[in-house]
Amino acid sequence: MSLLIQRSDVGEFRRRYRYMVLVVLAAFAVLVGRLLQLQLVEGASYRAQARNNIVREIKLATTRGVIRDAYGRVIAANRPSYNVYVVPGRLDMTSTWPRVVELMGLRAEQRAELEKKIAEVPEARQLHQLLLVVDVDRDVVARLATHERELRGIEVSPVPVRYYPYGELGAHLVGYMREIDPETLARVQGRGYRSGDQLGAVGVESRWESYLRGQRGFRKTLKEHRPSLDTSALEQKYLEQPIRMEPIPGRDISLTVDIELEESIEKAMRGQLAGAVAVVDVRTGRLLAAITKPSFDPNVLSGGHGKKAVRELVKRLYTDPLKPTLDKTISAAYPPGSTFKPFSALTAMADGLVDLSTRVDCRGGYEYGRRFFRCTGVHRQVNLHAAMVRSCNAFFYALGERENIDRFAQVGLDFGFGVKTGIGVNPESAGRMPTRAWYTRRYKGQYVGGYSLFAAIGQGAATTTVVQLALAYAALANGGTLYQPQVVRSIETSDGTIVQEFPPRVRRMVDVNRQHLSTVQDALIGVVREREGTAHAERIESVDIAGKTGTAQVSHVTPRGVDPGKVWYFNRDHAWFAGYAPSRSPQIAIVVLVEHGGGGGKNAVPIAMRVVRDWQKMEEKRASLRAVARQKPERGP
Amino acid sequence: MRSLRYGSLRGGPHFDRWLFLAVAFICASGLANLTSALSAYEGHSRLGGLGELYMSQFYWVLTGMAVAGLLVVIDYRNLERFANVSFGGGLFSLALVYALGDASRGANRWLQFGSFSFQPSEFVKLGVILAVAKWIHDDNQTEPRTLWELRVPLLITAVPTAIVMAQPDLGTSLVFVSCAGAMLAMTRIRRSAIVTVAIAFPTVSVLAWTYYMKDYQKARITSFLEPEKDVTGIGWHALQSRVAIGNGGLLGEGYKQGTQNQFNLLPDQYSDFPFAVFAEDWGFVGCVVLLSVYAFICIWAVHVASQAKDRFGAALAIGCGAMFFTHTVFNVGMAIGVLPVVGIALPFFSYGGSSMVAMFMAMGMLMSVSMRR
Repeated sequence: MSLLIQRSDVGEFRRRYRYMVLVVLAAFAVLVGRLLQLQLVEGASYRAQARNNIVREIKLATTRGVIRDAYGRVIAANRPSYNVYVVPGRLDMTSTWPRVVELMGLRAEQRAELEKKIAEVPEARQLHQLLLVVDVDRDVVARLATHERELRGIEVSPVPVRYYPYGELGAHLVGYMREIDPETLARVQGRGYRSGDQLGAVGVESRWESYLRGQRGFRKTLKEHRPSLDTSALEQKYLEQPIRMEPIPGRDISLTVDIELEESIEKAMRGQLAGAVAVVDVRTGRLLAAITKPSFDPNVLSGGHGKKAVRELVKRLYTDPLKPTLDKTISAAYPPGSTFKPFSALTAMADGLVDLSTRVDCRGGYEYGRRFFRCTGVHRQVNLHAAMVRSCNAFFYALGERENIDRFAQVGLDFGFGVKTGIGVNPESAGRMPTRAWYTRRYKGQYVGGYSLFAAIGQGAATTTVVQLALAYAALANGGTLYQPQVVRSIETSDGTIVQEFPPRVRRMVDVNRQHLSTVQDALIGVVREREGTAHAERIESVDIAGKTGTAQVSHVTPRGVDPGKVWYFNRDHAWFAGYAPSRSPQIAIVVLVEHGGGGGKNAVPIAMRVVRDWQKMEEKRASLRAVARQKPERGP
Repeated sequence: MRSLRYGSLRGGPHFDRWLFLAVAFICASGLANLTSALSAYEGHSRLGGLGELYMSQFYWVLTGMAVAGLLVVIDYRNLERFANVSFGGGLFSLALVYALGDASRGANRWLQFGSFSFQPSEFVKLGVILAVAKWIHDDNQTEPRTLWELRVPLLITAVPTAIVMAQPDLGTSLVFVSCAGAMLAMTRIRRSAIVTVAIAFPTVSVLAWTYYMKDYQKARITSFLEPEKDVTGIGWHALQSRVAIGNGGLLGEGYKQGTQNQFNLLPDQYSDFPFAVFAEDWGFVGCVVLLSVYAFICIWAVHVASQAKDRFGAALAIGCGAMFFTHTVFNVGMAIGVLPVVGIALPFFSYGGSSMVAMFMAMGMLMSVSMRR
């Protein structure tokens, strides 16, 4: 094979070169076109992404607002909870561990339990933190901190938790904190919530979450890069202003509630299993106290004692037949029983059906149609006043027979029954003022006149919440002004400046005849003062109060989900007392409900008496303090 | 190609200074860019040693230049005699790799001699080019060829392709096929043969996809379509490279200033994605300049082929040009997200001794053809 012989024909290739050049040009044109798109058309978006890649935003924690009562006492605040962690792989069980046990003051069985926990850690997790003890007390923290150097493998770290100094007291109204669940997180996305955050669960904590929460701040830094780069120069170049945003602490909230009054209610209710008390200011509609029994410890539910404690408590609360999680002042409606009689009386008087001279002969009941409607006793000749004082049903049956049921509902609605009050915290029950149309719909056209008789004594299908009843009695006391109940008095910044104040809001001036109203008021005073009054036996001499007792019948069908062994309890009547004090110049209205408490006179009245007595003492003390304060400037130079 | 026929370049051994300048420019840019890419690792606790790679790359460039110089001096027609030998040697070394190579980085590509390791597949590319060129040279049939008549070059391509695919190394097999394809595309081939290939290629690809390819390879190929879908896995490389390039904008962040590179967001920026580093540092303007030089070399290879005085020289020039072209377009294409991520080096930019020396050898042969027309 000789290289010198020119035997190849290069001509064959000639026609192909042009296409090859075209292929090359086309390929590079595509590359340049794509670069044009990436770098010039979409460049800004990629640049933003690149910046985002190197900048880290460190979130700066904010503090949740404090909740105070009407007199500035802290009801909900924040505290650090110190958790002790252990890294099993670093902990020396022979030398360090006994020292830890000694410093933490662990008992023998606790020690054994924790040793077991540490021993059970699998090989793969030897270098992971293990939560050992939740919320150790400050002395232990101090001791551990002092000996930090000797305690290899032991770490103490603070976690902020919500703290409720009064514990169970008024917990339903104040609420508690819970960890955000994925569903809620998805709903509130974009409002700065992150997985693992706490948020208000019920009550004020939940309703005023957006005020209490505050806003996280942030600090931008550059991500890890090679050390030879000049960090500050890079930060200058790449970090967009603002580089740092201080966190905004949450707003503080002052409630209308008086925690001392709630303490007194709590004390007065000892011995009762379940019930609710609401106290409102007659002149403003402000809620001074709202207590539900049984209650729960918001400190535990908010995670102050660890997640395990939360799970256990939640499980217990939701299986308790007394429904501790239900706010019985706002979220639950009960038949008002005889406490509704003043409103029946007002209805009948307004329609001219009765006056003080009307008399009914009570022979232990009232005959209507083929039925005999039973009374609480044999009262003989009673007029309106006596019927209210002695709680005679027969008189009101007679009244109910003549009155249209829709009129009771109408007056009831005027006084705020059957309609949500607009209190704003916790899911509110509207209660019910049944009308003829309601019964017709409910019982498929089977309306009977007896329903009207029941309506007159607050039985049948009528229901009310404790707060509704308290506001209605406040309206009786103040001459017919129905207020919107108020829980929050004002919102303040963390340094105490008031941001927003909430003045009282009148819902309606109830159109009620003065004469009729004073007839009812006299009767309410009589209930306590007169020998035959249903509250007379349990009165406290020094307490100046007017009101009405009530004993509301409960359905005698066993409620669903109730242990048969407890049926006797759940069949008992609800005991009511609704009233106001002082009787002649009312300032507060109080409603006491003892669930399944039996007779109202015997069980609800003593609680109201004791609470009002305590309230009178508190008022006297406050009055003397005010007097001292008023004198001070005069004594000055 | 009338327009490319420059009279002044005809006749006698003649140093091709344009090719030399273009390669020198790319080589210098490549070294500078490697400095930028490796600067991200300076002082890095674990990968700090990578900074030393720069020096070894520099030595590889020197080695490559020496080998290329040798090839320039030798008349390319002498290579014809070594064509079959080099091809056979290449096959043997591939078989050796397959037999005793270690499976570092998921594929058997390396041969180890003491502390020195090299990737034979890079040199087999040249072996294939020489063997096919020799076949084209020897085959003086003037009638259009049937597929059967192309059996020898097809076999020459298919055997190493199959071995490399088994390693598995998609990029290299792609280079084999495209080099041989470009060279054969110059010859006259029957329409029936072209149609057969046009039907057979997709069929084989689909079969290979379904029965042969590993999941990670499939993922690599599909992820370029939607890198956003898989931001932690394979798509991550492609996406971050795209972000880096987009971040370059019109004029770039400046030499050694690209944040994607400096903050180590580009995985393998010195081997697989040097173009992303370059694009981020120099921007659109820099990229267009660089790509123009790459394109120039590709077109120049066609020009050299058109000027060659024998079939061997023309085929060799086309083969070397196709190798250069495939490497460039696929590497840049995968960096900018128009082609799947296959491990294929950017000529004179990517870190790696074997590919650097092989590419220098290809350019040396091109120069050798260019000088003897």
